[in-house]
Amino acid sequence: MTVQPLLSVIDLGISTIQDPRVLVNNVSFHINPGEAVGVVGESGSGKTLSALSILGLLPRGVGVVSGEILFNGKNLLTLKPEELRQIRGNEIAMIYQDPMTALNPVMKLGKQLLEVIASHDGIDSESDNRVRALLSEVGIPDVNRAMESYAHEFSGGMRQRIMIAMALLLSPKLLIADEPTTALDVTIQQQILALVSDARKKRDMSMLWITHDLGVVANLVNRLNVMYAGRIVESGTVEEIFRRPKHPYTAGLLSSLPTSTGTNRERLTSISGVPEKPWLVGNSCGFAARCSRVQSRCHNEIPLSVAKDDSTVACFFPIGSK
Amino acid sequence: MNLEIKNVEKLYKIVSTQTIIHALNGVDITLPRGKTLGIVGESGCGKSTLARLVTGLESPNRGSILWNGLPIHDVNKGSFSTKKSAIQLVFQDPYSSLNPRQRIGDAISEILSVHKLAEKEMINSRVSELLALVGLANDLKHRYPHQLSGGQRQRVSIARALAAEPSLLVLDEPVSALDVSVRAEVMNLLIDLREKLNLTYIFISHDLAMIRYISDLVAVMYLGKIVEFGQWEQVINNPKHPYTQALIQAMPDHTVIGNPESLAKTLEGEVPDPVNLPTGCAFHLRCIKATPACTFATQTLIEISSQHLVACMEVQA
Amino acid sequence: MRNKEEKAKGALHYYLQSTSGIVGAVLVLVMIIVAICSIFGITPYDPVEQHIENILQGPSAHFWFGTDEFGRDVFSRTLEGMRRSLTVSITAVTLAATLGVPFGILAGYIGKWFDQLVTRVSDVFFAFPAILLALAIVASLGNDWYDTALAIGVVYTPIFIRVARGPVLTVKEMDYIKISRVLGFSSFRILRKHVFPNVFAPIVVQIALSLSWAILTESGLSFLGLGTQPPTPSLGLMVSEAQPLAAFAWWTLVFPSLFITIVVVGLNLVGDGLRDALDPARRSS
Repeated sequence: MTVQPLLSVIDLGISTIQDPRVLVNNVSFHINPGEAVGVVGESGSGKTLSALSILGLLPRGVGVVSGEILFNGKNLLTLKPEELRQIRGNEIAMIYQDPMTALNPVMKLGKQLLEVIASHDGIDSESDNRVRALLSEVGIPDVNRAMESYAHEFSGGMRQRIMIAMALLLSPKLLIADEPTTALDVTIQQQILALVSDARKKRDMSMLWITHDLGVVANLVNRLNVMYAGRIVESGTVEEIFRRPKHPYTAGLLSSLPTSTGTNRERLTSISGVPEKPWLVGNSCGFAARCSRVQSRCHNEIPLSVAKDDSTVACFFPIGSK
Repeated sequence: MNLEIKNVEKLYKIVSTQTIIHALNGVDITLPRGKTLGIVGESGCGKSTLARLVTGLESPNRGSILWNGLPIHDVNKGSFSTKKSAIQLVFQDPYSSLNPRQRIGDAISEILSVHKLAEKEMINSRVSELLALVGLANDLKHRYPHQLSGGQRQRVSIARALAAEPSLLVLDEPVSALDVSVRAEVMNLLIDLREKLNLTYIFISHDLAMIRYISDLVAVMYLGKIVEFGQWEQVINNPKHPYTQALIQAMPDHTVIGNPESLAKTLEGEVPDPVNLPTGCAFHLRCIKATPACTFATQTLIEISSQHLVACMEVQA
Repeated sequence: MRNKEEKAKGALHYYLQSTSGIVGAVLVLVMIIVAICSIFGITPYDPVEQHIENILQGPSAHFWFGTDEFGRDVFSRTLEGMRRSLTVSITAVTLAATLGVPFGILAGYIGKWFDQLVTRVSDVFFAFPAILLALAIVASLGNDWYDTALAIGVVYTPIFIRVARGPVLTVKEMDYIKISRVLGFSSFRILRKHVFPNVFAPIVVQIALSLSWAILTESGLSFLGLGTQPPTPSLGLMVSEAQPLAAFAWWTLVFPSLFITIVVVGLNLVGDGLRDALDPARRSS
């Protein structure tokens, strides 16, 4: 019996509301229970907006115009605000790039974390211990002192850990992470990735990890979606995508990245041009302007996602075909 | 012709909290002409401070920096046309690197006219030449910075630096703020220009992969000191300092996949506050090879094999 | 590479795309014409001349805005009053900007002790409410229009220091300024070509706003009995004198007030238009 996905995003479309411009175009992906899925893309790819729309956190002036987001079978887009609030934090939690905006600068840490429990489960005699245990799990030294401290007293890496603790407090089924390590030093980033990985496995929690850094997702997620100009151009297991990329964008991106080991310094293959803006793409493949395999069909039709085994690719002339 | 950085120290005093930040604590480098030095390190290591010192934006508190035997602050003074030894700079942020009210062509021609690097009639064609050199179309001359993409602006910054006819170019994270798919093009451009114009580069980055791709020599910095220095193959493929090893191990590597154990060997702790430097070796608090001796003995760079220097007692032993 | 003339034409072109800018400019232009008429004596009647037989008459074909309690033509007095307001405010703001902007820019760019000195001095001025300060100065100097202009000018100088200094602090840290230094440009060149063009937009907008405030301040001062003395008309004085009459001779209050409003709103709209026209980033989206 196949497992029902925990989260299913189906044909999601996001636009600006006034003066409509397409930002996310017909995006579909799913996350199974206990699975980690990555979304990789550059600026303008629509990866962050897609993630924000899951929890109804799109910025002002931007809205979902089509599609469904099913969480455990319920369409999140049609929920009443109170129902959505129940899910936020409790069943789906989110961590961001800048932990400072997630933490209240004038409230002591212990109080903030207890507040999270209070707003959902209600405080009881065990709540304090839960908070302390979690702070310890995420690697905060001297938990007692931390409980009485303020956000600004911690370093960037520590604040990220606190934000993760906050997200894990209510044992959500799905953790959405929007570039949480991009602004961190590499050695700190590795600590955070290890921490999140361990926490996830311990709780059998699903995860959606959004980044522009292919190296970060290489060992973090099971499956990957590659986004470009508001569309998913390729998806599959990390193994498939990295070893046998089918979309010219994915392949081009991989061969343009320098590696950090080895003695080979072959010239990098570059992709000319700049990432396309989703609303300028119209009825064509968004990557056509930069693609080395482009043909006339690419300028006149939108390539739809075609499934093959466990992967999908949205290209008329994928790599490996004629 | 070479760059000599001799025992440079740099402090910053913060008036409001009466604290002193030790940004650089004794840095020594000799960089031969035509070579590229890659400086890699994390926050607080002092690499950007070094960039500011080498370009003369600030002066060291102790030590000296010489280019061809000339002190740095004499290098970029006066008319460039008589010196032909300028040191120029490309910054990370393509958005604040260009005057938003100045057209691209004007930004480049300004250097030519101020330093008399071209005859008046020749300025326009020289600007076209420089734009072509960095792969930009000629009609970009009339545009304003906000009309260009990030990658194009970085190229303009490079063209502007080249207008001054430098022999040494300091590049502080030149591609870090660009989209990933655009970086390779700019990196390749830098490599082509280096060859064409026989340039010396100081390439600063936190991204070891970029450093490996472009550098001849690599310096690894930690809290204001160089902990390892040598030929790129040595430092990157045969790192000796525990910090270098940890750094390399921590770099996300897209060629290694499906290996969750790679996350297991992480470096503990955080970079200490540059206001309160640890005693002895700055790295000893996080070092797996640390011994009690590391707590009080400052490390110096010692050559352990041909042109490979490491500042670590445990390795030198 | 284009010269200053073409750049000014470009700014004008963008200014004309702003509705508020155009409306504001029209309003202000009308008021300037009004003031010029008065300078050349092109008023229906002498503003000070009394027509005793025609006191407190409503607007008519003879007296377009009616007459006041001395039989003076309100229309002619309004024109003269507008001239006075504009003369004082333009002089005052020119003084304030000429003094405040260079100090503000230098304070922001040089920093350290110079900045401390300039900021502390302007803080002292800021401590006083503008009207009180102007009042004190006018009371000690005299009631001629240039005394009022000087008082208002002195009071507004700190505003220009602040408006010029603030953006300089931000711009100073921009990479392109640092690179200009590495490129060996002189400080003078950097200030002239790289700092000033990036800070002058808020200054120009502030000029438009200050002109409108100066008019209000002048009106306020003459309303309170300082500055312009009767029988010379000033818009503020006319409003003051109209207080006891307004109930039964509405035209004595309404017209001067209306003119004050029009010129102040006009200047504010011009400020908006200028702000949009002068920012290259705003233009081309």
